[in-house]
Amino acid sequence: MVTVELFGLPRLRGGASRVEVPAGSLGAVLRALAEALPGLAPDIVRDGRLTEHALVAVDGRDIVDDPALAVADGSVLVLISAQAGG
Amino acid sequence: MGVRGNFGRILLVELRGSAVAVERVALPEEAYRAFVGGVGLGAYLLWKYGPPGVDPLAPEAPLVYALSPLLGTALTTTAKFAVLCKSPLTGRISDGLSSSRFALAAKRLGVDAIVIRGALDALSWVHLDEDPARCQAVPCPAWAGKSAQELADMAREQGLFRHVSAIGPAGERLVRYATISNDGRHAGRGGAGAVLGAKRVKAISVRGEAVAGVADPAAVQARARSLAARSAGAATEKYRAIGTAANLETFDRLRILPRRNFQAVSVGPAKARRLAPEGLAQAGAHVRDSCAGCTIGCDHRYGGTRIEYETQFALGPLLDVDDPARLLAAAAECDALGLDTISAGGTLAFAMECAERGLVDWPLEFGDDVVPWLRKIAAREGLGDLLAEGTRRVAAAVGQGSERFACHVKGLELPGYEPRALQTFALGLCVASRGADHNRSGAYQADLQPGVDRYRADVVRAPARVIESEDHAALLDSLILCKFLRGAIPEPWREGAELLAMVTGLEFDEAALRRAARRIAALRHAFNAREGWTPAEDRLPDRFVEEPLEGGAQVRRADLEAMVAGYHAARGYAADGALDERLRRELEMDRWLADSCPLQAPGRLG
Repeated sequence: MVTVELFGLPRLRGGASRVEVPAGSLGAVLRALAEALPGLAPDIVRDGRLTEHALVAVDGRDIVDDPALAVADGSVLVLISAQAGG
Repeated sequence: MGVRGNFGRILLVELRGSAVAVERVALPEEAYRAFVGGVGLGAYLLWKYGPPGVDPLAPEAPLVYALSPLLGTALTTTAKFAVLCKSPLTGRISDGLSSSRFALAAKRLGVDAIVIRGALDALSWVHLDEDPARCQAVPCPAWAGKSAQELADMAREQGLFRHVSAIGPAGERLVRYATISNDGRHAGRGGAGAVLGAKRVKAISVRGEAVAGVADPAAVQARARSLAARSAGAATEKYRAIGTAANLETFDRLRILPRRNFQAVSVGPAKARRLAPEGLAQAGAHVRDSCAGCTIGCDHRYGGTRIEYETQFALGPLLDVDDPARLLAAAAECDALGLDTISAGGTLAFAMECAERGLVDWPLEFGDDVVPWLRKIAAREGLGDLLAEGTRRVAAAVGQGSERFACHVKGLELPGYEPRALQTFALGLCVASRGADHNRSGAYQADLQPGVDRYRADVVRAPARVIESEDHAALLDSLILCKFLRGAIPEPWREGAELLAMVTGLEFDEAALRRAARRIAALRHAFNAREGWTPAEDRLPDRFVEEPLEGGAQVRRADLEAMVAGYHAARGYAADGALDERLRRELEMDRWLADSCPLQAPGRLG
C-alpha cells in the first residue's frame, strides 16, 4: 500500500489528512485516491493526473508528475497545494 | 496627458517646521509606459527625488507612496499602493505593498504618487487634500504611543478622518524595521515606518474627489467580472478557505520550515498542527475578512489578530515557540507596535542564539514569551535599543564570529523558507534588491516543480528561473494586482498588457511589458549600486554553506557564487554595479538614470 498525506487545499477538498491506497503507477495511485476521496475530483485529481492546483512529492522530497512513474509499495506521497507559498 | 487610469502627475510634499507645502508635478506619458505604476513608478520616483548617499532618516530622504493605473477600477485586488524609501535597515531600496482603503482614497487626490520630503518639528498628523489650501500638518503629541489601529478608531469616532496611513510606537522611535499600517495591514519591510517617524509624521489622511476614469469602461467591467469569477475558484481557494497559515504544516512536512534561527528544520507534525489553523483556532476565535475591493478574502484572524505564514514562522518555530496563544500574543503586539514580524522574529532569534552560545549575557532563550522584548524594542529601552537596529547591526555589536549565523541578506532578515532545501530560492535570496525576500520574487516555486532537485544548485538554469520569478513579481507589483491572484492569471504578460490598454488607452504588448519589468529590476539595481551595493552583498550567511542540515543538505559556496554570477550576467549587470551597454540601450536606461535632479523646494499653490 501507498500512504498519501494531504496538506493545504487537497486536505480541505479531500476531507482527510492521510489515506492508504494500493501501490502502482502514479496515475493508478491518483485514480485510487480520487475514488477514496471523491472531493478531490475534478479540481485536484482528474483522469489520473493532478491538476494545476496541486503538487505531489515522493516522501516530501521530489515533486513528480509522470503518471507512468512506478510508486512502490510502502512509499509515501505528500500532496500539497500548487500555490505553495504565501 | 490624454490617457485614463492615471492623472499624469504626482504630488510633491515638503515638510518644514510646522508647515506642509505641496506641488503637483506633471510626469510624461513615457514614464508610465516605462514603469507602469506601483513599485515600478515608485522606484523611478525614488531614484529621481532621493539625493545620492542620503541618510535614510534625514529630512532630505523621500518616502514615496506610488499608486497604480488599476487602482480605483472594479478589478479585484487592485486596492493597493506601494511605499518606497531608502531602507534604514539595509541602506538599499525598500519597496512594500499594502492593501487598504487608504489607497483608494489617496487616488482621489488626483495624483499617481505622493513624494514626501523634509521633516516637521513635532509629531504631527498630516492631512493631504485635493484642495491644496487644505493641506496641513497638525501637531498631535497626545497620539504618541498609540497603535495605528487605535488611531484609526479614535479618528473615526471623532470624525477626524476615515482613511489613514499611520505608524505605531516603533516608527516614532525609529526602529529600523518599523512598518506603516493601513487598515490594519502593514507595509514597508526595511523600515518605511522609521522613515515616516523621522519626518515626525504619525499619520497621513487624504481627501479628494478626483476620478481617473478608464479608457474602455465596458471592457474593464467585463474583465472585472471574469477576474472576480476566477478569483473564486480553486486557484485561490487555499488563501480563501485556510489562508497562508496552512503553509506551516506543509513546510514542516517538506522539511523547509526553518527553526531556531535556521539551526534546523521542522518541528514535527504534532507541534506543526498546534500552530496550524486548527490549532490557532483553539487559541483564538477564527474570523475571515478581506481587503478593500478584494474577492478572494484571505484575511484570517484568530482572536482578532491577522495571521499569515511569515508571522507564524517568525514568531513561532524561528523562536522555538510552539504555543499558539504565545504566537498570537506576539503577533498582536507587533501589529500594535508597528513592527515587521519577520525582522522582529529574526532579530530576536539571532539574539537568542547569541545568548545560547554564551557570546552575550542576555536573558533571552528560545521558546521565551517575546512580548516584553517587542515592547522594549519599540521603546528602544535597554537591550531593546540594540535589538531595534536589526540582526546585522546586532551581529556587528556582538562580534565573536556571530556574523556567521546572522540570518540576513543585505541586512534584511530571511523569510520562512530554508534555502539549503530550496536552492533556486537560495539564489533568489542573494540577489533580491531589497534583501532576503520571498515576495519580490517567489523563486521557491521554481524549486517545487517536477524535474527540479531542490537540494542541488542548478548553476545553469537557476538564474533564468529567478529572473522570470522576479519579473513576474515586478509586473504584478506595478499593475498592482495581488500575488494571491497569480494562479488565476495563467498568461500574466498578455493579460497585463490587456488590462493596461483597456484602463489607460495606452497600447501595451507583452514584449513592452516584459521590457518594463526588466527596466524596473535594472533601476532598482542602479539605485542600490548608487547607494553603495557591491557584489559581496549578494551572498548567504556562512551558516547556510558551512552547516549542513540533516541528511547533509547545504549550499556549496562555489555553486552559490556561480549562480549569482550567472544571474548578474543574464541581467546585464557588471561587477561594479554598472548596467552593460546592451541593457542600457535596450531599456533606454540612460534617459531615466539621467533624471535625478533634485527639485527646488515647492511653494504653496493658490
